[in-house]
Amino acid sequence: MQNSEELKWALLVASLAMLTMAFCLISFVMYYQKRRFEEEKRISDIEKTYNRLLLDTALNSEETERRRIAQDLHDDIGTMLSLTKLSLNQLGKIVGSTGNEKEDQIMKKSQSLVEETIIHVRRITRDLVPTTLERFGLIEAIEEFIHKLEEDNNLAITFQANTEDFPRQGQKLELTLYRIMQELVNNAIKHASCSQIDIRLEINDDVIGLKVIDNGVGFDPEKIKENNLAGLGLLGIESRLAIVDGTVQYEKPKMGGSCAYAQIPMVPVSDSKPEPLHPFRRERVNI
Amino acid sequence: MLEIYISYCLKNPISSIAVFITLLPITLILIKKAYIDPSFKLLLFYLIVKLIIDILMFQSAARHRNNIILFNLGIPINYAMLSGMFYFKFSSRVFKRGLIASMIGFLIFTLWDILNSNAEISDLHNHRAVLFAKTVEGVLIITLILLFFYEIIKSLKIPNLLTFPFFWVCSGLLLYYSSFIFIAPVLHYTATWNNLVDLGITETIPTIFEIVCAMFISVGIYHFSARDYAK
Ligand SMILES: Nc1ncnc2c1ncn2[C@@H]1O[C@H](COP(=O)(O)OP(=O)(O)OP(=O)(O)O)[C@@H](O)[C@H]1O
Ligand SMILES: [Mg+2]
Repeated sequence: MQNSEELKWALLVASLAMLTMAFCLISFVMYYQKRRFEEEKRISDIEKTYNRLLLDTALNSEETERRRIAQDLHDDIGTMLSLTKLSLNQLGKIVGSTGNEKEDQIMKKSQSLVEETIIHVRRITRDLVPTTLERFGLIEAIEEFIHKLEEDNNLAITFQANTEDFPRQGQKLELTLYRIMQELVNNAIKHASCSQIDIRLEINDDVIGLKVIDNGVGFDPEKIKENNLAGLGLLGIESRLAIVDGTVQYEKPKMGGSCAYAQIPMVPVSDSKPEPLHPFRRERVNI
Repeated sequence: MLEIYISYCLKNPISSIAVFITLLPITLILIKKAYIDPSFKLLLFYLIVKLIIDILMFQSAARHRNNIILFNLGIPINYAMLSGMFYFKFSSRVFKRGLIASMIGFLIFTLWDILNSNAEISDLHNHRAVLFAKTVEGVLIITLILLFFYEIIKSLKIPNLLTFPFFWVCSGLLLYYSSFIFIAPVLHYTATWNNLVDLGITETIPTIFEIVCAMFISVGIYHFSARDYAK
């Protein structure tokens, strides 16, 4: 009997010990998993901000580079062309006084070629740096962009903004929206074979929305991503948006065509600080 | 007729609760549609088989008949289903293969153990509990749970374990089998008609943890969401 009593106690103690171990094990797994998870999350957060910084720098240096090229074009080539034009004018006067018909014709042709080149250079510099955007803001810039497109395409492009006076945003945000709009419209022209493009800008208290709708063939963004068909355009939109915490959705409206909707959360404007990575920022490009 | 059962229930309240509490996770699985997950489907089968065996045992116990044969036969069946659950949860191939091998090996081992523990197999009245099989089952299941925990920690896919259903199931089973592992071999000697040793409170510990285990499983299933599983 004594033996069984002892056995009973031994069993009880052993079972309790085993149970304690089980409890400890469960708590340990929970605790350890939680800590590891938090750590992993922190690391991925750091990685994310780092990537974002990298992307930001890359895009910034791209803009800086464009500015530099525009500056060089304007300062060097632009000046040279102006001087060439001046000399040609002088030459033209001399040639004109001799009265030789053929020489006069060649002279006129050279002059008009130089003038055309000047116009081209001006256009390129203006395309490279969206000066209207910087000086007058997004709405003006989009209107100008549309205007230029409508001239040499028979496309109907409409633009609506939900407020008349669209407040100025931070430079980066405006540029992001502008470049996205540019790419979306370019895509619609390039791929959609559409006759009508609608651009809508919606601003409310916490987000700015940009919608570009065309009535063309439409496309399936999932398929394009899966099949690796995305060019630089759609990827560029995404990376630009990633920097400003924006999102983009592509929809297929029922009446056909495609609709892209980009959203960017508003940030309080702090326009007092100049952006450090834009050394060639100037008020106006004059040619 | 009914009085027999009621008086048995009153005499052994804890083991009666342990039998009928199994209904709770079963209903929860059905309500929550947790059976779309193959692991939980097996868990459902396990619970149903357990309930049937328990009720049969309960009935024969209430009528003072020997029910140990049911207990013995239940061991390999339970193991097959519980380890089957882990088959769907493991991601490692090696673990899966080892698991299948253990199922077959364990079945053979249990049959051998039943024969070994009972010299006269046709004498159901004096049938005795297996000596090793239940303990081995406990060790195997605890090993599987440990392996599963190891995989969880290594893969880091689950943000919050407290809302992860299968973690609760594992914890419940771990507690149950931990409480049973030392008691199981002793049953071979104590669960007989002319038993001299009464384990008293020690014997009810596994029963209590059987209830705890059912509760844990219920909590786990409560957190199951069919919509999340589809993802
Ligand atoms: N508005 C649209 N209508 C129809 N298809 C489109 C439209 N926009 C994009 N796509 C499809 O999505 C693909 C990816 O576009 P994306 O702008 O990324 O590349 P791309 O325009 O071909 O090249 P890139 O922009 O680099 O010059 C295009 O090739 C086109 O098939
Ligand atoms: Mg494109």
